Amino acid sequence: MTRFRERGYTLMEIVVVLAIFGVFLFITVTLTNEMRRNEKKWPVNFFSHPEVGSVLARMRRDIYDSTALPDNFETYTSGPDTLIVYTINQDGTAETVVWDFTKKGEVHRRAFKATLLASEWMARGVPMFLATAQPMPSGQDAVRIRALDGSKLAIDEIIVPRPHA
Amino acid sequence: MRRSRGFSLAEVLVALAILAIVITTTIAMFAERAKRMREASETILAYQALSNEAEYWRRESFAQIDNPDNQTFKSDLDILAPLAPYTTAVKVETTRADIRNITLTIRWSRREAHLGVARADTGGSGLW
Repeated sequence: MTRFRERGYTLMEIVVVLAIFGVFLFITVTLTNEMRRNEKKWPVNFFSHPEVGSVLARMRRDIYDSTALPDNFETYTSGPDTLIVYTINQDGTAETVVWDFTKKGEVHRRAFKATLLASEWMARGVPMFLATAQPMPSGQDAVRIRALDGSKLAIDEIIVPRPHA
Repeated sequence: MRRSRGFSLAEVLVALAILAIVITTTIAMFAERAKRMREASETILAYQALSNEAEYWRRESFAQIDNPDNQTFKSDLDILAPLAPYTTAVKVETTRADIRNITLTIRWSRREAHLGVARADTGGSGLW
């Protein structure tokens, strides 16, 4: 006696499975396209990056408490990739701080007592920073800090030193 | 004895309904997420520009604050490029003879962001 046994899937089953697969494929393609569009239009939100937050917080403190923004110090010359600030510490002592943005992906903060290197701090995995002088209506010299995500401007912050007696 | 096999129509319909709900919810969730991400990016850029502009208005001489020709944004707004087209506005309110409330506004695609600066006439250098 021969026993007939059903094998494989019916047309309807295959159609339903393909329809579900198609829906998921549609979602994936839509989301990928949107992600690419956003990547092109919007810069990375560096404020959610702890290393970038640390750089900005330290730089703000140095600039707020600065009494001068020298053009030169030792072998350093002030420019978009090097920021030199003469700043007052919490204990009342002064130091010259050099912010060095010359190495891609790294930021170095070197603090000097007189001409001796007193401390060095660095951050890795950070964007390209630029520091430029920004004249203000009050006549004060502020510092404009910018950071780029590719060609897109992601951070643009004007930091004005506090008035010192 | 004949044994029934497969699912009944009711079972298949219920399963499809559940699947439809799951897929619809997922799509709605992702769409909402994308919208909120975009709004967060816009807000971050807008408030960077507003905060820079506020630094200018904190240091503008008190006499210049009332000048209507001067009531425009003064800072570089390059960071707002992804928000284009956008408009900016400066509103100065006199609450007392020696006090000015300055409201800085950026408007773009049905959204807006504001930042207020209060200035007092101290008779000094116009530093604050």
